[in-house]
Amino acid sequence: MNRGLLTKALRECWLGTLVLGVALLIVEALLAVALLRFQDLVSALGPHIPALQYALRVMLGATGTGGLSPEMIGAIAWVHPVPLALVWAHALIHCTRVPAGEVDRGTIDILLGLPVSRWRLWWAEVLVWLAAGVTVLFLGQIGNALGNLAASGGLSTDPRRLAMIFVNAFSLYFAVGGVTWLASAASDRRGRAIAVPFAFVLGSFLLAFLAPLWSPAERVAFLSLLHYYVPLAIIRDGVWPVRDLIVLLACGAALWTAGGFIFARRDLSTV
Amino acid sequence: MDIIFTESLTRQYGKRIGIEAMSLAVPEGSLFGFLGPNGAGKTTTIRVLLGFLRPTRGRASVFGLDCWRGSSRIKAEVGYLPGDLRLYPWMNGAEALRLFGSIRRCDLEREGCELAERFDLDLAVRVRNMSRGMRQKLGLILAMAHRPRLLVLDEPTASLDPLMQEQLRLHLRALAGAGHTIFFSSHTLSEVEQLCDRVAILREGRLVADATLDELRRRSRREVMIRWKSGAADAAREPPPFLELQKRDGENWTCLLAGPATELVRWAASQPIEDLAIGEPDLDVLFRQYYRQGRETP
Repeated sequence: MNRGLLTKALRECWLGTLVLGVALLIVEALLAVALLRFQDLVSALGPHIPALQYALRVMLGATGTGGLSPEMIGAIAWVHPVPLALVWAHALIHCTRVPAGEVDRGTIDILLGLPVSRWRLWWAEVLVWLAAGVTVLFLGQIGNALGNLAASGGLSTDPRRLAMIFVNAFSLYFAVGGVTWLASAASDRRGRAIAVPFAFVLGSFLLAFLAPLWSPAERVAFLSLLHYYVPLAIIRDGVWPVRDLIVLLACGAALWTAGGFIFARRDLSTV
Repeated sequence: MDIIFTESLTRQYGKRIGIEAMSLAVPEGSLFGFLGPNGAGKTTTIRVLLGFLRPTRGRASVFGLDCWRGSSRIKAEVGYLPGDLRLYPWMNGAEALRLFGSIRRCDLEREGCELAERFDLDLAVRVRNMSRGMRQKLGLILAMAHRPRLLVLDEPTASLDPLMQEQLRLHLRALAGAGHTIFFSSHTLSEVEQLCDRVAILREGRLVADATLDELRRRSRREVMIRWKSGAADAAREPPPFLELQKRDGENWTCLLAGPATELVRWAASQPIEDLAIGEPDLDVLFRQYYRQGRETP
């Protein structure tokens, strides 16, 4: 691996990673504290306010009609739209840097003038991206642990289940990144490269939200990436969601590889 | 040996032609000028040579390697300055030398610092705070610091003041003298004339000339001034076919010589001419003819 390419990618992404990681840490900590403080209230109000119960079930992907269990409330911290938006924003920003961002800002000519193959460049970028993704998600987990600690730990999950949630969240991040790499590889404009995966994750989110309400949406719910993100099942059952992980990782890897082929074969220069 | 070789090289952008049927050979160690007006296809040619763009037809090779398939190997021995240079705004000159050296797996700092001294560039200034001229100097230093076998410069004197242009010319001559090949793209005749020993001229994507400057000078028309003896100008009436009359002012004619000087001398000997002056070959006239659209090339 070319050290210079790794250094360049790190130099360009550390600040964004740090900002989004710290934001995630704070949000997760606040969510953990808030959920602990208000879990009794939420559990008590849930059965009387069907809309609240429905919203929580949709977010968690829970089935059945029972009340809100402590596991369900604990899982909210991992499926809340704000942490998801922060993690996806990181993927969208990072994965559009090369080539769309480089073409857009006109630096692609100087970058491609260097003696490295496009695949090597692609690999360097993806390695730094994966490391950055792990950092952001890890900071989120630290935030959750700190929040639980601050509110004296009623919802704390055992480390094995936390590791499973981490892997599931990382797989989702990887799949969103795969879509974004593909869009970036095919685009000369960073805005367009961000818009396409943004529309995709928004669509995924809406589909997951509509599926319990609308049977046509339920039939195609498997197309939503969130369908394979199951923190509640992990907290409740403590079983690795192997099928979901495979789907997300395979999806991300296939899209990333397709993006790599496009990047390696297409004409590239400042426009 | 030819460092750059293209054969029937064509590159289209959809229906628009970037370059068409270009066959070019650049010998090793030459200072090769690549001239053409804006939009003639100079940058497209360079991008094909460096493997940024795929040729639509024909073939292109550098160091005997295919420009598309062997791109990364080729670029190990190429220094490139893009025409529209953009550098990463977060780095300063010293960081740029370290980073590019790390990517190239060689130490650029020593040579880079010497070049920075020569081109009077402060390596501590961040790119985002640099003027255009400073960025251009940094781009040149990054292109030259690894002492490449082939230096591809796309309009390198843009934004440089005349003193720096002179420094660059001196440095490029020294590099060529040491056996490096310089591929110098420009739309300005005068700088190519001062620097290069061979020139290719491009117009609307087609190569219209590829010759040494001496050959081009031989091809170019010379200005001829004729002063007729008193009362003889009317008698002569029409100039011979190898003289193109530009201006008639009483007994003084200004013409362009379209044939060999010997023919003019022979003809002049039989005419009532008081004085005859033949000017230096004027490349500018030739280049304007090449650049002009919709006309026969000379």
